[in-house]
Amino acid sequence: MSVTRVLAISGFALAFLLVAVVEVLARREGSRIPTLAEVVGFVMRYEVGQLPVGRIAVLGFWWWVGWHFFAR
Amino acid sequence: MEQPSEFVVPDTPAWDKPIVLLPGFVLLAAVGGLFPSFSLPANLYVLVIGGTMLWLGLSGRLPRRPAPRRLDGAAGWWLLPALTLAFVELVTFAGGSTYHSPTLSLLSDPVLESYLPRAALYFGWLTAFWGLVRR
Repeated sequence: MSVTRVLAISGFALAFLLVAVVEVLARREGSRIPTLAEVVGFVMRYEVGQLPVGRIAVLGFWWWVGWHFFAR
Repeated sequence: MEQPSEFVVPDTPAWDKPIVLLPGFVLLAAVGGLFPSFSLPANLYVLVIGGTMLWLGLSGRLPRRPAPRRLDGAAGWWLLPALTLAFVELVTFAGGSTYHSPTLSLLSDPVLESYLPRAALYFGWLTAFWGLVRR
């Protein structure tokens, strides 16, 4: 296995580990860090006029993720 | 006593319960796991399910969990995993998404070739999608 491949896999693993760490920190009593669900909920509230841009973007992104990994 | 109108939320449908939804998602994932990538059924299946979820999420027919109006500055900690993931993905993509420079997509391909991991990840995708719909 090449060094670049190991670095790439380690980088992805680090990113997912960081997600878990920040989520755990956010769930501590009295934490000022919002949970991932709260951050996503906040983004989904974003609207331009009457258009729920944040909602469309997040739901559309997740739809694309499913298509990309399961169908493409 | 009648509730003031500002506290009235859309009624939760009878089927909107974990005891109904989770077996339903298991069934959908079990079927979705059968279709190999690049096949027409796989494309149609994910497009129909995703389209339905998107429609439910935008229609306002389902009650939503309250979301914060503002975020504390400490929310910036979420940039750490987000930027790490984006950086590694961009670097590997720029490297050509090859064996020596694999993107997340390329790394997931061997995992998604087996039925059980594929169905399990399909289940995760569906339940997360539902969580977003209700946000």
